[in-house]
Amino acid sequence: MSNMLAIGTSGLNAAQLALNTISNNISNASTPGYSRESTVQVEQVGATTGNLTIGGGVNVTAVQRAYNQFLSTAMWSSNSGLQGATTYNDLATTLNSTLSSSGNLQTSLDNFYTSFSTLAGSADSGSNRQAVLGSASSLVANFNTLAQQFQQQQGSINTQVAQTVDSINTTAASIARLNQQIVQAGAGGSAANALLDQRDTLVNTLSGYLGVSTSFNTDGSINVFTNSGQSLVSGSNAYAMSTGANAYNATTTDVMDNTGTDITGKLSGGTLGALLTYRSNVLVPAQNQLGLAAVGLASSVNAQQAQGLDLNGQQGGAMFSVPEPGVSASAANQGTATVGASISDPSALTGSDYVLSYNGSQWKLATSAGQSVALTTNPNGTLSAAGLTFNVSGTAQAGDSYKIEPTRNAASGISLSMTDPNGIAAAAALTANPASGNTGSAALASIKVTDSTNPNLLSGATVSFPTAGSYQVTNSSGTVLASGSYGSGQAIGANGWSLTLTGTPAAGDSFAVAANTAGLADNSNALSLAALSNQGVLNGGKTSIIDAYANLTTQIGDAGSQAQSDLTVQTALNNQAVSSQQSVAGVNLDQEASNMVQYQQAYQAAAHIISTAQALFSSLLSAIGA
Amino acid sequence: MRISTYWHYQQSVATMLSQESALAQTQNQVSTGKSINVASDNPTGAAQVVSIDHTLAQNDSYTSGINAANTRLSTETSTLSSVTNLLDRAQSLALSAMDGSMSAQNRASIAGNLVQVRNQLLQYANTTDSNGNALFAGTSNDKVPFVQNADGSVSYQGNTAQQMALIGNGLQIPTGDAGSAVFMDIPAGNGSFVASAGSANTGTLVVGSNSVTDPTAWKSAESAAGGQFTISFDASGNWSVTDASGNPVNDTSGNPIGGTYSSNTGSISFDGMSIGLSGTPAAGDTVTVQANQKQDIFGTLNQMINALQGAGGSTSDTQLTNTMNRQLESLDQALGTINNVQVQVGGRINELNQQSTAYSSLGVTYQSALSSVQNVDAYSAISNLSLQSAALQASQQTFAAVKSLSLFNYLN
Repeated sequence: MSNMLAIGTSGLNAAQLALNTISNNISNASTPGYSRESTVQVEQVGATTGNLTIGGGVNVTAVQRAYNQFLSTAMWSSNSGLQGATTYNDLATTLNSTLSSSGNLQTSLDNFYTSFSTLAGSADSGSNRQAVLGSASSLVANFNTLAQQFQQQQGSINTQVAQTVDSINTTAASIARLNQQIVQAGAGGSAANALLDQRDTLVNTLSGYLGVSTSFNTDGSINVFTNSGQSLVSGSNAYAMSTGANAYNATTTDVMDNTGTDITGKLSGGTLGALLTYRSNVLVPAQNQLGLAAVGLASSVNAQQAQGLDLNGQQGGAMFSVPEPGVSASAANQGTATVGASISDPSALTGSDYVLSYNGSQWKLATSAGQSVALTTNPNGTLSAAGLTFNVSGTAQAGDSYKIEPTRNAASGISLSMTDPNGIAAAAALTANPASGNTGSAALASIKVTDSTNPNLLSGATVSFPTAGSYQVTNSSGTVLASGSYGSGQAIGANGWSLTLTGTPAAGDSFAVAANTAGLADNSNALSLAALSNQGVLNGGKTSIIDAYANLTTQIGDAGSQAQSDLTVQTALNNQAVSSQQSVAGVNLDQEASNMVQYQQAYQAAAHIISTAQALFSSLLSAIGA
Repeated sequence: MRISTYWHYQQSVATMLSQESALAQTQNQVSTGKSINVASDNPTGAAQVVSIDHTLAQNDSYTSGINAANTRLSTETSTLSSVTNLLDRAQSLALSAMDGSMSAQNRASIAGNLVQVRNQLLQYANTTDSNGNALFAGTSNDKVPFVQNADGSVSYQGNTAQQMALIGNGLQIPTGDAGSAVFMDIPAGNGSFVASAGSANTGTLVVGSNSVTDPTAWKSAESAAGGQFTISFDASGNWSVTDASGNPVNDTSGNPIGGTYSSNTGSISFDGMSIGLSGTPAAGDTVTVQANQKQDIFGTLNQMINALQGAGGSTSDTQLTNTMNRQLESLDQALGTINNVQVQVGGRINELNQQSTAYSSLGVTYQSALSSVQNVDAYSAISNLSLQSAALQASQQTFAAVKSLSLFNYLN
């Protein structure tokens, strides 16, 4: 009977423990990261009486959590993907709405070009000229606004990188602390289910911040590494990352490991990976592409301006100014060299950034992605590549490097440098008039500016034909500038201009080439300025400014739509991984309800054992007593 | 598969949230009428929108260029019509002045009429366009193009360039003609040469109509002679020809050209030209033939005016007839020149209209292209909207149904 009492008590205890576990499961049904727990019951070995062995009741050996390491690891890695895709999508969506809400650059560009067409209708009208400057100034404002929005996103990425690294460090430190507690609890013999759940939740959070891999130690602690192998947590030690300025650019926040080495390029996955990838794959190219459009606009308009005469009779001055390419020396440079960069050929520019480095004997240029670019040494000692010219002075040491950002700040820095509406060069720069005594049939077909930088462009000259088959060009003091034989339709050039005639000159005919100061109502240069709207000025002369903007739109739109579809994929993957993990570790309330009924009945039955034992005992006592 | 109650709720909520966001996007499309609201909605479509919008803006710009050019050219064509009328009037005045029965007084009053014609012509030549820019100044802007000097002659102060308008990609059209080409550089005489009686002639020789009958022979003879022939008559009407340097002009066989003129022969011909003559030359009278002469309209009118004002006094009838004959020839040339310009202007206006029609039909094409890229198809968007809202409703209803399913409901 004492046996029966003991067995009944063990049953009561077991049912009680099971009911407690079930209560805990039900209470934690909505706790994120909670793993369902269950009691492990073992039959107690009983004493052997004679040749019979009766079990000694039930023993609860453990409260076990439902757990599958593979499923948890899969969930962690899918969380990296999901958080990364979410961050990327948030950034790309912001960029897309920025693009559509910061004023339409195409409209501003077209208004600007059209204002030249309107000007051409009456080239000396002050109001038309003012309208050109007005549309130019709103175009510049549009470039600036868009570029500032992009820069703001750079700034917000910097902040988010720093915050995320902080969170990673905090989480890694908590994991290390929990590792320590788990090892201590494990040493004390009790399985630390709650601690393990907490730690797994933190690892899940950490993988949301950054792509990580894990490994388990025999003492129950976990090691966490970044995808590229840098240790974040090793047992009870956490290794903090830090943030700091990029070696070239103090306005870009990079990530360093605990030894101070820049590991920005090695990180992937999670929020931090997405921030860094987005910055280098979407934002910087978008800034460069927008800058490229700004450089193209400024250089094409300024070049066309220089080919005409303004209302004051002067050669047209620059309308826009853009900042020179950015050159930043590496913080690690040892030498004293300074590098200047300028744009020599806008049509050869690309959207890339470059690194110019010195290997001890010569300079090398590579894109920031690492592709090397051939440098040409110019006769004056400067170096040229990809539409850029580098001017190096001072002494460089081997290993010194410079980051070149040709168009990064062009869109934010473009400004309207023309303030006087009379400065718009609507008229052609030159005119060529036949001498009054000409007897041949030659007439002017065209006179074009071929080199607007020629200092003598507007100084005038006489093209004469000593014989019908030869020409010579003389300046006002009689110096012969050019001469040669003449064939019909042949271009005659000097002083940066080129003259073409129709018909045939007679011997002794001449044409006087002079600045077109008597034709300031002329609109031919205004028409050329208007025609820039369709003219390829970038990408080897294939891409107009409008095209460049359309490309930027596609580029940003692609980034946005890819981010959306990637988010959909990652959400589905994460759902699947979490569903699988939850199918093992999650709490199902129906199951708990049925278990509760089961153990409630077990408890009642065990209680009956005790009451039966008591009845047996009473009947025995009464039998004895009677 | 075991279902975690917590995750089951989470997923139901997530499903409803994503349905709601899809619904919001469709709703946005329906309310804006656009399927591309941000570039990521359709990246290539967004770039197409940029380029179609650009093309439309270009069309608008070309169209307004065409309108401006049209205004300017219409002003020019109506001005030129007035000029033609004016010159017609000058012609009939000149012809009436040559009537032998006219008195010197009548001729002087005709001269007065011609002065008015000249002054009005000057006014037309200085016509301005709607922007106040002179129509016939070329591309000069700082001076009045035609200015009358003290002696009545008119100087052109503009230049010879033409204003252009941009009416298409790489397509420019002149929106005006330089005053020099319209009023100044007009061929004198019959267009090839001027045959004029010498001012010192004493006979009654009158040079009448003259022309080039063989252009090839004329061209080669003209350049060999240095552009000038002088025909000299002796007392018996024999004539000989000398060139610009005073040397006798020979025929193809090397013999000096010459002949005998009498008032019966009516004309003399050589070297591809025919010169109509009447009256009788005195000994030593000459007729000068000058090639490639130019004379402005104002000069033509002035010469008529001077001749008419001098009639009955310093100008003999023969001289008057000769002068008027020459100037009428020049007036014909002026009318011809203006007519040519009119034809060119008409051609340009015609081209402008064609371009304009092309742009308006292209505009329709591009608008429909733009709308097919950018605008949402209302039918599919609205049916999408009702489909999505039905799906969301279904999710909500299932959620409500499933949430009440719990074993705990049946335990007590």
